[in-house]
Amino acid sequence: MRLNPRRTILHIILALLTGLLMGLAYSWFISPVTYIDASPAILRADFKDQYRSVIAASYATTHDLPRARARLELLGDTDPTGELSAQAQRMLASGTSLAIVQPLAQLATDLRQGTVSIPVTSTSFIAVVNTPTLEIPFANITAQIDVTESIQPTLPSTSLSFEQTPLAPQQLFTSTPRPTATLIRRVDAPFTRTEQETVCNPDLQPGLLQFILLDSRRRQVAGIEIIVTWSEGEDRFFTGFKPELGNGYADFVMQADTTYSARVAESGAFISDILIPTCTDANGTIYLGGLAFTFQQ
Amino acid sequence: MTSSNWIKIALAIITGIALGVIYGWVIDPIEYIDVTPNILRADYRADYVLMVAEAHQSEQDSETSARHLAILGSESPAQIVTSTLEYAAHNGFTQNEILLLQGLLTAMQTYQPQGNNSP
Repeated sequence: MRLNPRRTILHIILALLTGLLMGLAYSWFISPVTYIDASPAILRADFKDQYRSVIAASYATTHDLPRARARLELLGDTDPTGELSAQAQRMLASGTSLAIVQPLAQLATDLRQGTVSIPVTSTSFIAVVNTPTLEIPFANITAQIDVTESIQPTLPSTSLSFEQTPLAPQQLFTSTPRPTATLIRRVDAPFTRTEQETVCNPDLQPGLLQFILLDSRRRQVAGIEIIVTWSEGEDRFFTGFKPELGNGYADFVMQADTTYSARVAESGAFISDILIPTCTDANGTIYLGGLAFTFQQ
Repeated sequence: MTSSNWIKIALAIITGIALGVIYGWVIDPIEYIDVTPNILRADYRADYVLMVAEAHQSEQDSETSARHLAILGSESPAQIVTSTLEYAAHNGFTQNEILLLQGLLTAMQTYQPQGNNSP
């Protein structure tokens, strides 16, 4: 039997397509390309979160902002800073300790500001620093900062400068605190309320209680704990977790018919008898407003 | 059908398979998303370990450092740091960075995971 040429061509085309499908099935499903040199950008979301946490923890030690920024870019996020803030909020909401979350918020804040700031934390770091500089006013804070900044250059040459305690990390005793151009904020300087404003904006959430914390130079300060209490409970939160609204910004939503008190945890600045104010719009409609407090060192 | 036609069809199938494999492996390979860190490229992996070392320098928290390193694979944390140190030695890491990695290695070599030893 002889097939006509057209039919033969049809068979060849069908065979080619069959082979093509077989090849695709093999290369996509049976033996797909195996990745061995992946970039952080294609990591699973939870691993990306961990990667960001490590970047922030590293930054908390090195204060190397360009490097932290470069490392974050590896993750391929469209808004690395926003992702940091979002992750910090997610972690706080899931009950992760502040010690783990704060470096993320601090890095997000610094990235937005473009400058390295000193984290405001009362860590156990201070307790193990045992150098003569403790006698200097606020030297504990200075030492805490400078140890992390100056470990690398001073480690080899100053390793015999101070008596070492075996239980403590060696570098805590071997780096000499030195003058630094970085702003050092006095964590014990009290915050006092400088402004109080009733916010009548129907676009805002009713009962929104806003806080803005400023340092002595009127720059917003992240990482300050605020405690809001009412008869049935208490809430604690920190400035700086919504950097898009300001590094010293924090807020809380009040309920109607509840009286609140607010306190800046570090300094004890206290406001009592806080109630949701009522506002009236142009049509005479009454609605619940909000309050904004400004504290300054 | 003549044998020459069968040969043509077989050649067409083979050609198709070759084209399909080329397309699936080279032109449009499967794109992976949501991968695990154990397949990170060596330089990313080394930088990650370096970040852990930098964080460890101030935190001195071996538990946390070991947990961070554990995502890189099934090797022990000490082995991971050891291989990173080898990479660092051959790839121009600074002396400070190598010191940091050595500090982390020491911590990981002495680190004992906290298990539940209660009866």
